[in-house]
Parts: sequence; structure tokens; C-alpha cells
Amino acid sequence: MSNSSFEITMPKVDLNYTSAKTPVHSDPNPEAKPLPKVTIDGKAYEFKPGDTIMQVAERYNLHEDIPRYCYHPGMPIAGTCRMCTVEVEKAPKLMTSCSTPAGDGMVVHTRSEKVLKSRNGVMDFLLANHPLDCPVCDKAGECELQDYTFEYGPQESNFKEEKRVFKEATTKKLSDKVTLNMNRCVHCERCVRFTDDVTKTNDLVMLNRGWHKELAATDEKVGLTNDYQGCLTDFCPVGALTFNDFRFEKRVWFLDKKPSLCDGCSKGCNIEVHHDKEIVQRYMPIYNEKVNGHWMCDEGRLSYHTYADADRIVSPLVHDQASGRLASTNWETASQVVNAKVKSATKTLVVLGTDATTEEGMLVKGAFANRAEVKYHSGFGDNKALDHLLRQSDKTPNTNGLKAIGLSPLAPTDINGNDLVIVIRQGRARLPKVEGQDVILVGVYSREEIETLKTSNVRVHAVLPSLATIEKDGSFTNCDGHTQSFTAAVTHRGKSLAMPRILAALVGEKR
Amino acid sequence: MGTINVSRKYTLAQKIYLYYIIKGMLINLKRFFRGLFLQENWTIQYPEQRREYSQRFRGAHFISVDKNKTENCTACFLCETVCPAECIHIIAEERPEDENTYGVWKEKKPASFDIDLLRCCFCGFCEEACPKDAIKLSRDYEMSVATRDEAIFDLNHLKREVKGRG
Amino acid sequence: MDPVIFTTTAIIAKILVLLGVTLGVVPIMVWFERRGAGWFQGRPGPNRVGPFGLLQPLADVIKFFFKEDWVPANANKFYYLMAPVIALVAPLAAISVIPFGSHIIIGDHVVHLQLANIDSGVIFILAFAGLEVYPVILAGWASNNKYSTLGALRGSAQVVSYEISMGLALLSMLLFYGTFNMNEMVTWQSQSLLGPIPSWGAFLNPFAALVFWISIFAETNRLPFDLPEGESEIVAGYHLEYGAFKFAAFFMAEYCAMIMASALLVTVFFGGYGFLPGMQMLLEMATAQFGLAEVGIQNVTALLQFISLASKVAFIMFVFVWVRWSLPRFRFDQLMDLGWKWLFPLSLVNLVYSALLTWYMN
Repeated sequence: MSNSSFEITMPKVDLNYTSAKTPVHSDPNPEAKPLPKVTIDGKAYEFKPGDTIMQVAERYNLHEDIPRYCYHPGMPIAGTCRMCTVEVEKAPKLMTSCSTPAGDGMVVHTRSEKVLKSRNGVMDFLLANHPLDCPVCDKAGECELQDYTFEYGPQESNFKEEKRVFKEATTKKLSDKVTLNMNRCVHCERCVRFTDDVTKTNDLVMLNRGWHKELAATDEKVGLTNDYQGCLTDFCPVGALTFNDFRFEKRVWFLDKKPSLCDGCSKGCNIEVHHDKEIVQRYMPIYNEKVNGHWMCDEGRLSYHTYADADRIVSPLVHDQASGRLASTNWETASQVVNAKVKSATKTLVVLGTDATTEEGMLVKGAFANRAEVKYHSGFGDNKALDHLLRQSDKTPNTNGLKAIGLSPLAPTDINGNDLVIVIRQGRARLPKVEGQDVILVGVYSREEIETLKTSNVRVHAVLPSLATIEKDGSFTNCDGHTQSFTAAVTHRGKSLAMPRILAALVGEKR
Repeated sequence: MGTINVSRKYTLAQKIYLYYIIKGMLINLKRFFRGLFLQENWTIQYPEQRREYSQRFRGAHFISVDKNKTENCTACFLCETVCPAECIHIIAEERPEDENTYGVWKEKKPASFDIDLLRCCFCGFCEEACPKDAIKLSRDYEMSVATRDEAIFDLNHLKREVKGRG
Repeated sequence: MDPVIFTTTAIIAKILVLLGVTLGVVPIMVWFERRGAGWFQGRPGPNRVGPFGLLQPLADVIKFFFKEDWVPANANKFYYLMAPVIALVAPLAAISVIPFGSHIIIGDHVVHLQLANIDSGVIFILAFAGLEVYPVILAGWASNNKYSTLGALRGSAQVVSYEISMGLALLSMLLFYGTFNMNEMVTWQSQSLLGPIPSWGAFLNPFAALVFWISIFAETNRLPFDLPEGESEIVAGYHLEYGAFKFAAFFMAEYCAMIMASALLVTVFFGGYGFLPGMQMLLEMATAQFGLAEVGIQNVTALLQFISLASKVAFIMFVFVWVRWSLPRFRFDQLMDLGWKWLFPLSLVNLVYSALLTWYMN
């Protein structure tokens, strides 16, 4: 295989955990005028005019020093929780750092005695009605209220009164994805602002005031309707909003976290795969300004179920002549069978699903260079954005990547007239219409899919299971042309093999 | 390897050996007659007589229940987290409303709660970690089983009635 | 009655009595050993089967019967099966020359209470006692097991070593008695030494008695000399590979050997069936009470003699148990030290002393 026939550029991986790190020197001529400086905890920092104190602190990784509930870098500033107050010299009172613009020569103390006392008081009020059900709460372990209570909170509450209890809203399904426990809410209103300003669906409102302030869906009958409901549960600083798919599944401290890419659509959101003992429990978005910002859609969030499916085929299957069924076998037998099949076929077509990584595309192209035609296929047609945020109509992650290495799309007429069609599909690409063809399937399939294929008169000779996106290394080029690479987040526990070894089995070459 | 030479000074009587042997045997003979005539026993006839163990003895586990026979456990996984032997396995689920008839609302319940007694080291950490005083260690020390399966306590067995502590 | 038929009947009866008593004592000893261990150690001992746990040996026998009769795959089957048989037969054969009374009179026939009154009695016993090393080494070697072999090697070395001092102690007594015949020895010992004290071998030559006593512990592989078994080092020694009734045979053989050795010790050093103090008075009382004639007196005497021998043997057996639960096992080098560096030279000296004493007395 030669790499010289085409070139792709591999930009640097941008897996950016912390928020808002855009360089301060966005001005092309930085020396034009000196930047203003703010002193935080005795050290001077340059900032862009218009930044708030919080944003300056974020930019210089000082955000650990300033606790916050209502502030979220992806949403408008509200300034309601009063947790982020800092002491600004010459200011009469403590200032909320999230809403106070930084000024030149400002001197800020984030951990002075006055500030700590204020935070302690705020925590006391927040905890006045917060139930002591951390052991039951799914947020425990990644809960901001818990963390800040340890850091700033009072050891004992000053409140002897009975806690407020929302009887109906203790376990209230806001939709089939999100459950609300109003008792735990600290009224930061991140969720309300998210539906107002990010998804622009206006799903949530705060009803009543003070003691009776309660979160509710705008239309109780409809509930939450947006496609980013998982994000509500991500940024909820307490366990008020929990994601039903993850609810009660696992305590968060058992989870191992590995960065990866979502392959649910052509957007390629940056995610963190949370798994315990190689069993994926959930996906969570991580910040990447160029791709997905802070968010990811529910469809992608739930897409891990494909790979954790009990019905997923994880050992090679070979068509058994005697019984007429696909029988599980070992890789040696399977590779002998498919190799003979590939060698005896005079005209072979390889349909490469656009959920293959660019590297796999190159491997397939090289392996079948003189033997077969290689076409890519997504089944979703041309990509277009489904909303103003992230969702795309092309549900495969790498159409652009395969295009870039010089492959051409599958035309409907290409299928006919072949002795053998090798379908490689490892994610959400649709299967091509292969009725009446001799087919070898490579990739990630469920038993149900194979059964459907067999009923539609497809002669499946073998199924060779390969690794899923989260189980392998590679790179995707998303709909906007960003190429992002990733490494395996979990170890595959079945008999599936990586693509190079499957190709070796197919074309009979040691590689 | 270092060698330690321990030299002892023996008296003549000790060297001759017989005197001390006979002396020792006479002491033992006294024991014999005491056992024979006075029935002086230092042992316990186990199945009939049972030793009373300390109140703090840690034996077989159980899960305390309320008066409706609903387990107090809320499947918080704290015992599973703290367990050094990793012998507790919990699967949680939503608690149905009819089990929440009184008292504090419990959101969660264990769908299954298994303790592998063969792995357990009876450290009692689970009892300490439990925020609901649900899992406890009884003073029952008779835990022999005929098969390995029996040694895995499931929720039903853990909810059994335990006398003397609960 | 025809004397031939009578003699044959008497011999068969004597064989049956001897076998019955010896083998009957075994379960009692087994019970006493375990129950006695309990008393020595401040616990009840076996008390579940029957009253006082008396049926425990029976339960053991039932267990032995129903266990799988198993032969190791690589064992030499012939010798493997031969070993327990020899172990059991040798002490039973040796016991035939031990006199257990003078004689009884039935009708006009005199029946001597000794199975074989042969002149070379001591030699006969030594010969059969010497056979006892065979089962140990045969069992150990034929089992084809390293622990068994180790136990057998230790056992044979030990038995051979202690047989020397035992023989020398016996030899010194033969000088006194001037006979190999067991019956004559007993008669010799019944004469008075000092007033009421009979001239028992143990009084004439206490050192020989001690040496002999120690030696029979080693000969019968009892604690503190049970090195052939040594559970802590070699599992169970030479009979490790034996199960079911073959093991029971070894077990019984051990107690038979103990009985035989005790009987020999009593016969040579403690006056055999000679009366214990007070028995003469008892005899006179019985004579006066029942107005016994000569025949009756003789028969009662024989009965008392048997009781006398039995109680002496019982005491020795008790000492066997007593020592077992009092003393720990010797280390092998200590065992050899004791045998070769102490008992052997001292019994040589003792032999010279006995010779001089005999010469002086004559």
C-alpha cells in the first residue's frame, strides 16, 4: 500500500477541558496599545476590555478560587446565586465576580476573610432546605453543592426548622429523559436560561417566589421538548435534574473517564466516555469551542447503547451450508472462508460506511487497490444542519474524511453485477440495498439486523465483527471540515478485531 | 544467614532427664484424676452449650426492615464503595410509590442486593458506612453452607428476622 | 475322656481365650486412649456414641468396614497387602509363649495356662518381636510414597537400634534366671527376696527394667518414639497410603504389640502371673469360706494369677497412655542419641554388673 497517491492533513487534536481559553491577543497588532491589567490575589493579569472578573479568572485557570452556581460560560450571566462574590478594593461591598466587569488597576481578593464569611453564609442559606440525601442522590460525587460545602460551607446549620418539601415534585418526570427532584434545587436557574437562550425552546420556567419557588415545564402536558435535555442534567449543580438513562445505574465515583468523539452524527462532538470496568455508563460533552461548545444532543448521548448492546455480534459468523444458518466460529476458520470467497470472486465491490475512520478508509483503499472497487456510503444524503446548535442530518461522522482521501460515493447502480459485495459498516451508516447479492459483512451489527437482511434475500456469507468508535483509535473529519483524532476509550471485551487484522483476513495478507 | 547459638546451662538432674520427665508426668497424672473424678473440663460441648459472644461480635449480615417488611436500604452503594473485599453487589431501581407510605421519601431501592460471604472479611465497614442503618452484622456465627451458591446472601435472605440485634 | 481329644480341645480353647482377650482389649484400649486423652487434657473426650462414649470403637469399626478398599496405583500390591497381615500376626504369635497362670485341674486332667510352654520362650518372643520391623518397612516401601518411605526408614532404624538395648536388658535377666523358659522365670521370681518382697527382676536389676521399658516404647512405635508416624513431618508415615480395614489392621496391631510387650515386661521383670501383695490372703479367705479342696484351691489360685497378670499388664498399658499424653515426640537425632549413646553402653555395663552379681550369688 502506498501513501503517496493522496495526502490528508492531520491537524492537532483539540481536546480542551477548561472553558474559554481564547487568546487575549486577538488583536493582530498587540503592541498597538497596552492591555489593561487586573490584580487577582496579588498577581496582575492582562485582560480584554469587557471581560468580567470571572472570565479573567477562567482564562488564567483561577476558576478554582471562585465558586459559582448560576454562572456558566455557555450561558448569559444572571448573578443570582451570590456565591461568586469577591472583595474588590475600594468597592463598598463584595462584588459578584460573574457580572462585574474587570477594570484597569482593579485589585481583587478571592479568598479574603470577608469573602469566605460571605460564601459560608450563602452556603448556609442554600443548605437550609437542601435535603440530606446525598447517599441516594445520583449527583453525589460530582455535585458542586457538595464540593463547595466541603470547601466553604458551615459545619453546622443554623436552621432548626423543618425543611421545605415539594411533595409532588420529589420525583417528577419532566420528560422521558429527565427527572426533577425539586427538593434539591438551589434555584440557580441555569436550566431556565439554557432553554431560553441556548436551545431557544423556552421549556422551563420558575413558578412562584421565595419559599415556594418551583421549577416547572412551561406546558406541563408537553414537558421538556428540546433535544439537549442531557445538558440540563450535566450543568445542574445539584441533583435536582437527573438523566433517566443514567439514573441509579452507577455511582459516579466508580466511573473511569476517557476523552473520545461522538460518532452519532457528522458534527463530531467531543465527549468523555464514562465507564466502569470497560462497561460504558454514559457520554458527557467536553468543551471544544470549534466544534460543540459545551453541549451535545441526546441522540448522541444515548448512542453508546449500540455498542453496549447485548445483541451486538462480537464473534465472527460464517454461513453454514448444512443448516443454512450463520454459525459462530473462530477467526481462523472465518478468515479461511472469507479469503477463499474474496479470491474466487471476479468482480468485487466494497461499500465502506462513512462511520469508518479516515485511517481505516486508507487501509481499505490500499487493501483492495487492485482487487475491487471501493465506494463510501452513508445513506443519509447530503448533510444539512437540523437546528441552530449541533444536530446534523447526516448521522455518520466521517463522510468528509472519506471524501478527502479520494473515495467516491456509492451510486445505486454500482451494486448490481458484482460477484461479491463487502459491506463495511461500524456505526450509524445505513446499509446499502444489497438484495440478491453475495455479501460479506464487516463491522458492528446486531443480531436483529442480520435477521432482517436474511429475510430480504441477501446471501450473507460471513459476518466479521470489528471495533466500535470508542474502542479504537482514529480520526474523523466533521461537517465543518475539522479533523479530530481520538484514542480508544474502552477495551473491547468480545472477539471483535481491529480493521487491519480483518482486512488481512479478507485479502489474505499478513500486515 | 545469621545463626543464633542459644546455649543453656543444664543442671545434672536436667541432664539425666528422667527426674524431670517423671515430675512432669506426675503433674499430668493429677490432671488425669481431676478429669476422671471431678469432670474438670475446659472445653464447651458445642451444639448443646454455646459461647456467648460479645455484643460487638460481627457475624452474618442482615438488612433491617421497617414494620411493613420494607427494607431500610436505599441502594446508595456506600457499602459497596467502602467494602475492602468487594463482596457486595447492588443493582438499584426506582422505589414504587406504595412502599413510601410513611416517613421520609425514599427514591431508590435495591433491585438486588448480594453479599458474597465467601469473600467477606467481616470488617463491619458496611455497617459503619450505611447512612440508613440498613445493613448490619448480626451475632450469628454459624454460617456453614453446603454449596457455594448458598454462601451468596440475596436480598430475601438478608431481610430475615434476626433476634438479639436489629 | 480321651486325653488326645481333651488336649486338642484345651489348646483350641486356650487359643480362643488368648485371641479373644487380646483382640477384645484392643477396642477397650482405643476407647481408653481417646477418653483418657480427654481426661489428661481437661476435656470430656468422645462421649457421643453409647454411654461414656463406650461404643465409639464400634462406630470406628463400622466406619472402617464401609470405607473404600483402595490400593494406590503404583503400589506393589503383594507387599502392600502383606504388611498389615504381618503387623497383626507377629504380636499375636509372640503372645502364645506368655504364661497367664500356672495350671488348672479339670477332672483328672491338668491344663497348663500357657499356649506353648517351650524352653526357648524368650528367643521365640524376640524372633516375633523382631518381625515387627517388617510391616513397617514393607508398608512404607510398597506404598510408593515418599512420606511412607521416610517413615519406614525411620521406623526400621529405630526398631533395630532399640532392639539391641532391649536384648541386652533381657540377657542380663537371663543370667539371673538361668533359663529361657518363661514359666520357669515366673516361678523363679515368686521366691522371696526380702521378707514379703518377691524377687522380681525389677527389684534385682531395676536399671535393666528401665531400659527394657524404654525400649518397648520404641519397639511398639509409641510416643515419645512414634517417629515412623510423625504426623507433623511425614503426614502419617508408613501407613499413610492405607485406608479402610487395612488401616484398622495396623491400628489393631499397634495395640496387640503393646499388649504383647507389656505382658513380656511383666513376665520378665514384674513377676509374671505371680501374686500381687494381698492375694495370698484372699486365697486363704476363699479357701476358708468355701471349704475348698486341693483342686478348688489350685483353680482359684490360677484365677487369681490370671487377675494378677491382667492387672499388671493393665497398669503397664495405662503407663503407655499416660506417657503418650505427657511427653512430646523426640527428634530423630535425639532418639538415636538416646539409643546408641546412652542405653546401649549402659546396658552393656549393666550386663557386666548382672554377670558379677550372678557369680557372687552362686
